[in-house]
Amino acid sequence: MELHNNRILTEDYLYPFSAIMGQEDMKLALILNAVEPRIGGVLIRGEKGTAKSTAVRALRRLLPEIKVVRGCPCLCAPDNPLHACPRCAEKIRAGKCIESAYMKVPLVTLPLNATEEMVTGSLDMEFAMRKGQRRFQPGLLAGVNRGILYIDEVNLLDDHLVDIILDVASSGVNIVEREGLSYLHPSRFILVGTMNPEEGPLRPQLLDRFGLCVEVGGEGDLGSRVRLMEMRESYDNNPMEFAARYLDEDNVIAERIRRAGERLKGVVFPQRLLGLVSEICLQNNVAGHRADMAVKYAARALAAYEGRSAVTAGDINRVAGMAILHRRRDALPPSGRDDPDRRDDSGDRDDQKERGRNGSVDSNDMRNQPHESGEERGGEGDGMEEDYQEGLPDPESHSEEDEPSGVTEQVFEPGRTSRVQSITQEKDRLVRRGSGRRTRTRTTQKAGRYVKSIHSDKYPDIAVDATIRAAAPHQRRRKKESGMAISIRRDDIRRKIREKRIGNFLVFMVDASGSMGAKARMIATKGAILSLLLDAYQKRDRVAMVTFRQRKAVVNLQPTASVELAVRQLGEMPVGGRTPLSAGLLKGYELLRVHLRKDPSSRPIAIIVTDGRANVSMDTRLSPSEEAIRMAAEMSGEKRVKYVVIDTEEKSVVRFGLAARLAAALGAEHFSFNNLVAGDIVSIVRRNI
Amino acid sequence: MTGRTMYPFNAIVGQDEMKLALILNIINPGIAGVLIRGEKGTAKSTAVRALADILPLIDVVKGCPYQMSRAGDPGVCRDCYNTGCAEEIFDGNGVDVVRRKVRVVELPVSATEDRVVGTMDIEHALSKGEKRFEPGILAAAHRGILYVDEINLLDDHVVDVLLDAAAMGVNTVEREGVSFSHPARFTLVGTMNPEEGELRPQLLDRFGLCVSIEGSRNHAERVEVMERRIAFEDDPEAFCLKWKEKSARTAERIESAIKLYPEVNIEREKLFSIATRCMEAGVDGHRGDIITLKTAKTLAAWHGRVHVTDEDIEVAAGLALPHRMRRQPFEEIGKGRRERGYAG
Repeated sequence: MELHNNRILTEDYLYPFSAIMGQEDMKLALILNAVEPRIGGVLIRGEKGTAKSTAVRALRRLLPEIKVVRGCPCLCAPDNPLHACPRCAEKIRAGKCIESAYMKVPLVTLPLNATEEMVTGSLDMEFAMRKGQRRFQPGLLAGVNRGILYIDEVNLLDDHLVDIILDVASSGVNIVEREGLSYLHPSRFILVGTMNPEEGPLRPQLLDRFGLCVEVGGEGDLGSRVRLMEMRESYDNNPMEFAARYLDEDNVIAERIRRAGERLKGVVFPQRLLGLVSEICLQNNVAGHRADMAVKYAARALAAYEGRSAVTAGDINRVAGMAILHRRRDALPPSGRDDPDRRDDSGDRDDQKERGRNGSVDSNDMRNQPHESGEERGGEGDGMEEDYQEGLPDPESHSEEDEPSGVTEQVFEPGRTSRVQSITQEKDRLVRRGSGRRTRTRTTQKAGRYVKSIHSDKYPDIAVDATIRAAAPHQRRRKKESGMAISIRRDDIRRKIREKRIGNFLVFMVDASGSMGAKARMIATKGAILSLLLDAYQKRDRVAMVTFRQRKAVVNLQPTASVELAVRQLGEMPVGGRTPLSAGLLKGYELLRVHLRKDPSSRPIAIIVTDGRANVSMDTRLSPSEEAIRMAAEMSGEKRVKYVVIDTEEKSVVRFGLAARLAAALGAEHFSFNNLVAGDIVSIVRRNI
Repeated sequence: MTGRTMYPFNAIVGQDEMKLALILNIINPGIAGVLIRGEKGTAKSTAVRALADILPLIDVVKGCPYQMSRAGDPGVCRDCYNTGCAEEIFDGNGVDVVRRKVRVVELPVSATEDRVVGTMDIEHALSKGEKRFEPGILAAAHRGILYVDEINLLDDHVVDVLLDAAAMGVNTVEREGVSFSHPARFTLVGTMNPEEGELRPQLLDRFGLCVSIEGSRNHAERVEVMERRIAFEDDPEAFCLKWKEKSARTAERIESAIKLYPEVNIEREKLFSIATRCMEAGVDGHRGDIITLKTAKTLAAWHGRVHVTDEDIEVAAGLALPHRMRRQPFEEIGKGRRERGYAG
């Protein structure tokens, strides 16, 4: 029962830093940041179960001490009025005697479910109640001043919190304007985050905030793996004893860090090596200058840590990789800065540069992305192809195509994608839950921006400021409870309406039959879908994809938030065979229905890409196209779903107008193939939502 | 989980792999849970609920909402708004400790984040001027089993919170004017029907073991299932009474395995065999290795041995690795397992 006793993770019980096997880059990056906070933190990326979180938590024991103003919630330095909070700055300037204290560099964990108020600070409710006065209650951002802000699974952090953190990280100041309060305090921290790339990438802007980035992986060597198991078992059997055994080794590192911090100022950075730094950065095509700075600070910290008084080329080479890894342009995930409504931290010089290159995202960028475990898969799709080879395409469906009809199936690369405009659904009064960045909605979750307060039980979140205001006029008449400055009754209670963005659910139903096989067309179609997928990915939508060809419809992609999967599926999607349109519609509709059952207030979007030439029916008594139209008519009854039909029939040939009929039956918007340029589709969708 | 009569654990027909995985988790919570994948109507939920029958006893401070085994933890008790026991301790008085069964706490799919992590009762604070923190499901599940039915339908937010707590063993609350953390170490037991969609890989990895179950294909077994079910529904109490002895024996066996576990040892070369398996299976990270080792040791304890055998490792790998292997995107979990020789 070793894991189930009482201990909360106190330092005595934590897995010791020095007992972590391997992962030298990660350990070095953390140590360097402890030596020199100006490096700007570290992002640890890696697969599951590679001691990412363990290392950061173990770091706590190694951190040096800082001198702070006693009792200051912002941990101001007693000798630095420049970066002190208003109260301390005044005291320092006035030359008053300031009591100081020593404490370890704070390492504050930001839980993913933290509310905005707790991060920025808010009205001190207890004080307001007892004294009837306004006072600022400092939040996480105050306590982390001059320390380390640790975000586990940083890529899962809600966007509105990311915005706040970016804002404060770039300015070093937390400005609070809420609940009738106006307050400003310093908040300079370094960011340490861990993430598993499988869960989706990080916003580039946030990515760039991390000074260094390291990749961690499992040990490949049998001996180390065994050693690791032994260590872990021994830790689990008696954590306290195990931690005590490594205490000395941890202390050695801590002492080295402390000394390095003292020595740091004296470490010389030779002029000739500055050129080397910028050359490395240029060669790797990094965005902005933050990489240069990170390399410089990290190299100096390394020299200091190793007890040298000058930086060498070796130091630079050792740390350069860590500073560049996440800033190399080809390694950047597709950026999510197209959203005009998003808060931007202005004055960020890297921003403009990145925005400039953001005009078009080549599909190849997407494929080059480091997607862990993707590379190793090797024989991907082997099994699938066998499946697809049964049954030759119906020659009829090929008749007027310019492709040779003898070809069973082909796989086309997606065509170029273009920048996508913002697609949002209309705001309504419905309350939803969820996360994402597409549609603005009211939410009952205690996350999001506090827009106003009302008198209603529908929202769980009590608005203290509004409640007090509502109670104020009645104070004279009411009898006060002992010790309270204000008396509040149930009727006074006001609740916060919060607004946040959430993602939508997009279902792609893609016709992959032989008639779609015309090369240029399929490439363009795939390119268009890819553009929508990229957009979906940035907006944190969930997507699902159904393709239909030969005799059946297949759910290629179960509803997922992993757009990488969708993109890979799209790239590998073979084309050829007959068109079971009704089966495709049915499969897609099933997905939509399941989704709506789970989340009745959601507004999914269905995008049907077909030429409408159905030639396989599920029920042999009906003609294929008749069956499809009936199916469509039934689907149109579901008003919560927005349907969009992309007609891929070519203009030049004799037109059947089948997709148009389908669209009419669905009550969907219908667009011809010739308009099928990515930008167009997206704006079409936008106009019609 | 009390009040209603539960179907006895031992009366479940077949599904031996699932039952074994659950028992191993009770013996050693370090195995970190089990994910039960299977079609509808395969006694997934019944089995988990029936666990109450055979769970061991633990010491808990009386009335403690955080299930602490002794009072006075500086991190938790100082900030505890719920009981007066902190004052008792600081006054030098002792607190009552009671012995109760390990709990199965159910997390409903519709649970809100608030319910899970706990929330501040602001209404109370506004009218009375004092803080009152309502602990959530994570507090109740500390040192127990957290059971999530249909875990693949769980809200993304709640999943994040669960991951956070499972990774740290601590639930940190930063909301509504409360900064508070309390330990939240639980055995996560989830059931899911893969037809409804897959789990996020990160969450999947948090489960120590994974079993896939299906309805029995054996004629006689199916009849047996029906007969027992009917007997139970006709007279639950009589049915349970019939199984009572067997349950007691299983519970005893679990207790003695818990006592034996610390003595179980494993030869070094067997560790190499585990590491080789994991590398061949291509699992991410090291959690696979560690869990396989723990499971093998627990199996030995369950069988009353102090030495881990090759067979233990074989069975352990069959439980701990299938969901960790790198798969093709839509390949089913557990597929290819038989071919690779991890048959339980």
